[in-house]
Amino acid sequence: MENNFILLILIPLVTAFLLPIIELVNTKIRKAFILLSASGELLLGIIIFISNYNLIKTSELYIEYNLGAWSSFLGIALVLDNLSLFFSILLVISMFLIIVYSIGFIGHQEGKYYVLLFLLLAAMQGAVLTNDIFNLYVFIELITITSTALISFNRNRESAEASFKYLLYGVIGGLFFFIGIFLLYYTTGSLNMGLIFSEYQDINQNIQIAVMILFLTSIFIKVGLFPFHYWLPKAHSTSTGPVSALLSGILLKVFICIFLRLFWQVFSYELLVDMGLAELIIYIGLFSSIIGHLLAFREDDIKRMLAFSTLGHIGMIVAVLALNTASGLLGGLMHTISHLLMKSTLFLTVGYLLQYTEGSHHLADFNGIAYKNKGIFVSFILAALGMVGIPPLPGFFSKWYIVDAFIQSGYNWAALLILLLGLISLFYYLRYIIRGYNQVEAERIVKPVKETSVLSVFYRERVVTLAVYVFTTLMLTAGLFFWWYKKPLLIIANLITG
Amino acid sequence: MIYNIVFILLFLLGLYAILTNRNLVKIIIGVNIMESAVFFWVIAVNSREGVLPILEKGSEIIQVANPLPQALILTGVVIGASTTAFLLTLLIEIDKFANNINLDFLKGLRD
Repeated sequence: MENNFILLILIPLVTAFLLPIIELVNTKIRKAFILLSASGELLLGIIIFISNYNLIKTSELYIEYNLGAWSSFLGIALVLDNLSLFFSILLVISMFLIIVYSIGFIGHQEGKYYVLLFLLLAAMQGAVLTNDIFNLYVFIELITITSTALISFNRNRESAEASFKYLLYGVIGGLFFFIGIFLLYYTTGSLNMGLIFSEYQDINQNIQIAVMILFLTSIFIKVGLFPFHYWLPKAHSTSTGPVSALLSGILLKVFICIFLRLFWQVFSYELLVDMGLAELIIYIGLFSSIIGHLLAFREDDIKRMLAFSTLGHIGMIVAVLALNTASGLLGGLMHTISHLLMKSTLFLTVGYLLQYTEGSHHLADFNGIAYKNKGIFVSFILAALGMVGIPPLPGFFSKWYIVDAFIQSGYNWAALLILLLGLISLFYYLRYIIRGYNQVEAERIVKPVKETSVLSVFYRERVVTLAVYVFTTLMLTAGLFFWWYKKPLLIIANLITG
Repeated sequence: MIYNIVFILLFLLGLYAILTNRNLVKIIIGVNIMESAVFFWVIAVNSREGVLPILEKGSEIIQVANPLPQALILTGVVIGASTTAFLLTLLIEIDKFANNINLDFLKGLRD
């Protein structure tokens, strides 16, 4: 079963289209079916990881699957190598937990929600695994459309506006990608990434630069770096809890994967360095990081604060990847893992805690929230401290490697800046933690949970709590045993930088 | 050459429409102009004289036109149409909640 990784895309895709049929037959087995297919996907990811374990260690993993048995020159090829396997395992684990959380959390229009969620999972797996650049474009557009639908899932004014804005940026970003693809096709005559790589050096230098700028613009729009960051806080803050966690924690990492794949494995990164564009990426990333953390600092809306903090961390990851050294890539990939775990935990806990504030996101409504559910609030604190970078948590170790990479490349001021921004984030998380432990008048505490709350059903509350605790445990494990995944990541980093 | 100039002009026209208009419908039209510009450009630049596939068996191949750009543009057109439809749906949604489709009155979209 060498080619079984195609099932990573097929399982969610088939599930998405089977769900409406199952709903017609019997609504009650829908949740069992969702859980079955999500755990099947998780199991498949683990099987693929174990069966290729020896190849991963020697970094020889390269399995190509030609769809429809066309040769890779003509047809679409999927490739499983160390980089795509790493991101697809991350996707599988985190999406499984998000789906479990959603089973408890989503109370209305469940059928539509899971169709969109599984389509999005299929598109993300496809974008990670594909080796054909036009196929990548199709998967990116699928990601944009399904995630827009998920953002507008709340059916209120804010989310409608946010999703309009998100889709507008997404379409324009996709258009730049499209132009880039056709410049590549026109000059190299192929759409396969491997073939483009072998021909890329020979084409006209001006076209090389134009292609790079087009793809760079597109990826910056999709990731939400500085000049194009306006959609990010809105889209991430107006959606429901699990969708915010998905967008902020998981979806942006897929675009980080595409960034790595395109600029290191399709184009030569050295040309970017020669043009001085690499320097520009570092500055844009760090500047996004600064404004992200500063805007988060002055924000009183908790979900907007978390969204701005995402902007800060993604900017940092892009900047450290752009250093183009093995240690820089190691730091970036480690922070990808730890940011995924911590930000997802934060959004999931906040999604849970918002039932006590009756849906209000405002800081003032967070008074005394810690007394209402101690366990969940401890998860929130742990994840928040992880974001700041307190030692046994994963954020500390990944930031350590990022700072190390900046110092090795001679950017001492950037290393200092990252530590300073960590300090700023400590302040804005502390505001919420202190508010949570504020004593409030007795009558506010005894006020019952909103009657209409979906979470008042017994099993739903259990499921949501379980998902949050599993996420927190994963996060703590990632922090305490970071050397487990340090070595595989170092292999990937060495492989990419060559 | 003329294709490239027309493409750049149309593309910038669409971008200008998006950046300056306050009406959301006009913004969607701007996006569509940009998309159409790209599609026209790709078709025009990639057009070649020649026999169209599918070729008959044993026929002498002198010069064959490349059908791949058309096929890819078709995918692009489908994606463009669906995103436009989705943008219009969201526009209806916004209009339902805010009773307005002017950017100046929609705080969530303006900043």
